[in-house]
Amino acid sequence: MTIAASTAKNAQLEAIDESGWGARFKFFQPHNPAFWVYVIGVGAGALGMIKYFGPALGGTYRLAVTSGIVFFGIYLIPWLIFLRRQNRYTAQPGKLLATGFVWGAVAATFWIALPANTALLEIWTKLLGPTGANTWAAGLSAPIDEEWSKGLGLILLIALAPRLVRSAYDGFIIGAFIGLGFQVSEDVLYAYNNATASFGVGQLESSLFILALRGFAGITSHALFSAIFCAGVMWILGRAPGERRIGRGIAACLAAMFLHFAWDDASGLFGWSNFLVLFAPYLILMPLAIATLLVVRRLASAKERAWMRELLAPEVETGVIDQPLLDAVSGLHKDRRHFRKLVHSRHRARHLIESAGDLAQEIAAAGGHETPRVAHARAEVLRLRGN
Amino acid sequence: MSTGISGWVPVEHRWFGLDRRQMRPALFVLVVALLLIYGWPALNAVVPWDNPTKAGDVLDLGDGATAVPPVGWQLEDGALVSDRTGVSATSDNVKLVKAGTTIQMSGASFDGTAAQFLDQVITSENPEADISGSPATFTTTSGLVGVVRSASGTGGDELLAAFKMSSTDPVRAPALLVNVSAVPGEFQQVSSEIDTFLRSITPGADE
Repeated sequence: MTIAASTAKNAQLEAIDESGWGARFKFFQPHNPAFWVYVIGVGAGALGMIKYFGPALGGTYRLAVTSGIVFFGIYLIPWLIFLRRQNRYTAQPGKLLATGFVWGAVAATFWIALPANTALLEIWTKLLGPTGANTWAAGLSAPIDEEWSKGLGLILLIALAPRLVRSAYDGFIIGAFIGLGFQVSEDVLYAYNNATASFGVGQLESSLFILALRGFAGITSHALFSAIFCAGVMWILGRAPGERRIGRGIAACLAAMFLHFAWDDASGLFGWSNFLVLFAPYLILMPLAIATLLVVRRLASAKERAWMRELLAPEVETGVIDQPLLDAVSGLHKDRRHFRKLVHSRHRARHLIESAGDLAQEIAAAGGHETPRVAHARAEVLRLRGN
Repeated sequence: MSTGISGWVPVEHRWFGLDRRQMRPALFVLVVALLLIYGWPALNAVVPWDNPTKAGDVLDLGDGATAVPPVGWQLEDGALVSDRTGVSATSDNVKLVKAGTTIQMSGASFDGTAAQFLDQVITSENPEADISGSPATFTTTSGLVGVVRSASGTGGDELLAAFKMSSTDPVRAPALLVNVSAVPGEFQQVSSEIDTFLRSITPGADE
């Protein structure tokens, strides 16, 4: 019994060390070269942003830009709520995710992707002719420039928080936030561009049109592509023990780039059918993208779920957490659904899972030691379990 | 290994005060970013345009509207009728370039006359621009009536021409803007080609 308890405790300490869970993220790191590259990227991106939108804000297109910012600012809220729910297991600190979001919104878009896309689109136009480029250039440019520019943000975050960014699931969540930043920034840019295409006539309607069009298409856009791409990057780098899967990583990166290409070049891919040109993005590409996302999420979460089980194993041995609750807090959607059925209450199941997650977080933050916060979190689990 | 205090870099890992252990990822990001930002433009600069317009080419302006481009200009954007790509009259773009002269055509949705459309364009783009006082009428060979305004300055010459692509219901028809810009001394050399090009603009067959 003692040997078993000590084995579980050692496994717990190992899981805390491997996952880096509980480590704090400090953004200001003047000794870290990655910090300065981040500052240069975001600084140059901000200047590019001011250069792009500045004249519009002071002139004819003020309404298009401000309404774009307001509309997509509101659009951001459900996304943040949704992604916060995905930030489970060894959850990443909000400050780290915000750092990724800003990279996606400012540096990846206005520092890298905008000039890179402009040049690459013109290269394709020269090589394929205007008609060929109209069909293919976007899909042959954006997946390279944009997926890479967003992926670079993940590399910087690894260098800024090497203890925190360890597993493929960390890459998945951080990638989603970088992609979301990119997506919203690009949406505002599209709202502005659409208004310029009509020379400033009906700017509010133009922004609403872009909100409807890109808001819906955004379900399977940059946040999704980057989540898959960045999970792939983490598999290639293999920063958690046993997680180095180069083939799987390359496949994930290529899958993200292919989905991006297919979305941008649907008119070329499905050009043989007018029906498919209109509907294939929604009937074929959207389900394909969501299925890919779910597979990647499931594979990426395996390590984190194992850490969670190891972290809570001593609590299972002492009876604070029972096996079904452990399965739910460290499991997939089907495990949580099964647990809901078991306790016959959606609310109670949610509260129990959340309290077990709190306990795991406090244990990790305390480095496996006994603290008043750990004791309190444990008492909360027991209270909710009715012990 | 770390000394245990967050932010403290052990002396053997320092280089001018920076943490050498994070140098590789930082440099990797910087190099890839600079390659994307400056590498593509550098490659673009060495790849030449090779899409000259030929005798018999006809530009597709959408909804059956067409224009005949001057021969020997580089078609950098836009579709020909022979491409059969299905151009939208309210979002088509054409760009023709020859030496220091660029012709750009943009289709747009606009309710109003050609003169009102041109005013809207000037207001939205640069109300302070040195555009000549009154617009002149310009009639194409097909009978389409448009308005033309021009500007001249140290930076070169510019000509703006606006059309509504219907002779029967111009107010509700799609609008077409033609913007010609030329470096100083260039416009006179191509003015007859531009005049012929503008006159070749034809609305759709259903007009």
